[in-house]
Amino acid sequence: MIPHILRRTLRSLRENLSLNIIAAGVIAATVLLAGVYLTALQTLDRVVSSWDRDAHVSAYFAPDIAVELRFSTKDQLAARPEVASVQYVSEEDAAAYLAEAVEEAGPILDELGPEVLPASLEITLSQGQASPDAIEAFVASIDGPPFEVIDYGRQWVQRFHTFLSLLRGLGLVLGLLISLAAVFLVGNTMHLVAYARKDELETMKLVGATWGFTALPFALEGLVQGLLGGGLGLAGVYGLHRLLVVRLEDALSLALAGAQLSFLSVGWCLLLIGASVLLGVVGCLWSVTRFWKAAP
Amino acid sequence: MIRLYHIDKHYGDHQALKDVTLHVAKGEFAYVTGPSGAGKSTLLRLLYGAEKPSSGKLLVGGVDASKLPDRRLPFLRRNIGVVFQDFKLIPNRSVLDNVGLALEVLGTPREQIDRKAKAVLNVVGLAGKEARFPSDLSGGEQQRVAVARAILNDPAVLLADEPTGNLDGAMAIEVMEILLSINLRGTTVLVATHDVGLMERFPQRRLRFEAGRLVAGQ
Repeated sequence: MIPHILRRTLRSLRENLSLNIIAAGVIAATVLLAGVYLTALQTLDRVVSSWDRDAHVSAYFAPDIAVELRFSTKDQLAARPEVASVQYVSEEDAAAYLAEAVEEAGPILDELGPEVLPASLEITLSQGQASPDAIEAFVASIDGPPFEVIDYGRQWVQRFHTFLSLLRGLGLVLGLLISLAAVFLVGNTMHLVAYARKDELETMKLVGATWGFTALPFALEGLVQGLLGGGLGLAGVYGLHRLLVVRLEDALSLALAGAQLSFLSVGWCLLLIGASVLLGVVGCLWSVTRFWKAAP
Repeated sequence: MIRLYHIDKHYGDHQALKDVTLHVAKGEFAYVTGPSGAGKSTLLRLLYGAEKPSSGKLLVGGVDASKLPDRRLPFLRRNIGVVFQDFKLIPNRSVLDNVGLALEVLGTPREQIDRKAKAVLNVVGLAGKEARFPSDLSGGEQQRVAVARAILNDPAVLLADEPTGNLDGAMAIEVMEILLSINLRGTTVLVATHDVGLMERFPQRRLRFEAGRLVAGQ
């Protein structure tokens, strides 16, 4: 039985070469779309992680806080588990940073004196402490003397996280639409493949072929189409990655904050190939079964 | 070999077969005849399991085809050869492959299929045309390929639905002679036709249908 099935599969692949290529092409295009989407999502996740990693809080001392108290506060904060690092910025350092960053501020600062800006502690939170809730909890725990003002860009942090949630949600919707389009396109292409062999299916059923004997070569054809389409699609994603994304890495280096625009992980590649094979096999079986049921 | 008990077949409001009871013995040859729409093809479709009767009991070779689940249908069909007016040959397969299909579905080894298919092609007078494709053959030759496919598996029953409908006189006679020779080997043959000339030339039992009822030959 197996030699007949393999023989029929090979013959069908050869005889319906153009339709098989079209089916593999549709799968490849689907994988390409999905791959680009996943690459974008993966990169976005890495960027988000890198931004999250660097969550900062600026705590400005009230005037007339003794230097000893400032340093002991710095040490206390540095000892806390949610704090990655603490840097003390004196009034002079603050003025120097401002003068360096804003050239026009130099003369004004000279006139007002070096102690016009408050001293502060620049606190970098540990990884995993960058959610709005965690930041707010930390800020609440240090709010009050010896600090006068604590700045952590609350609104910016909240807006950023809302934006990311929205982006992920949109990504999911987009992914769902791509999947539906893929199923529709591949299903219709497979339908054409099966339609081209409708008479053969009918004749086979009439001479006593079982559904399994008839459908198995189609399933194997779908497997080949899926493997071929999945492989081609992934090659396309890799090609695009090499051509475009790597070139964009320099331009986007600031936004990426050190995150790398790497190719899809092995797990994602295997998942895409698996999904392609599944799409090919299920698409073929679905089409064959429809014609099989309709045959006398 | 074939037994029908009070068979009815409805298509919505239309009743294609009405209370048909008949018996065709093993090794018998019978025509199923009558005007268009009398129920000839419906009867054959019931016999090879393409449809189920609305009511009644239908036995083919001892198998109750009226209650046969779909998954058992292939096993019924392996004991029934069917020949159609439009031949139902696969255009992109050679004559040998078309004939061999009946054994291929059983998983018979290729060499055995080829050997038996060549022998059967010899019986229907197509020796030497094994490598041809259906489009290379005349209508009569195509029908003989279909007959060869139908008898390859030595079926107990051979059903032919208007097998000479698309053939001219001489070719029709050739095909009928082949069907009769198959019958002489012990196969029960049922031929649906309305070709009176053919039935007079090769007289056999006639099961005459009119408006879904069996009116003669019972």
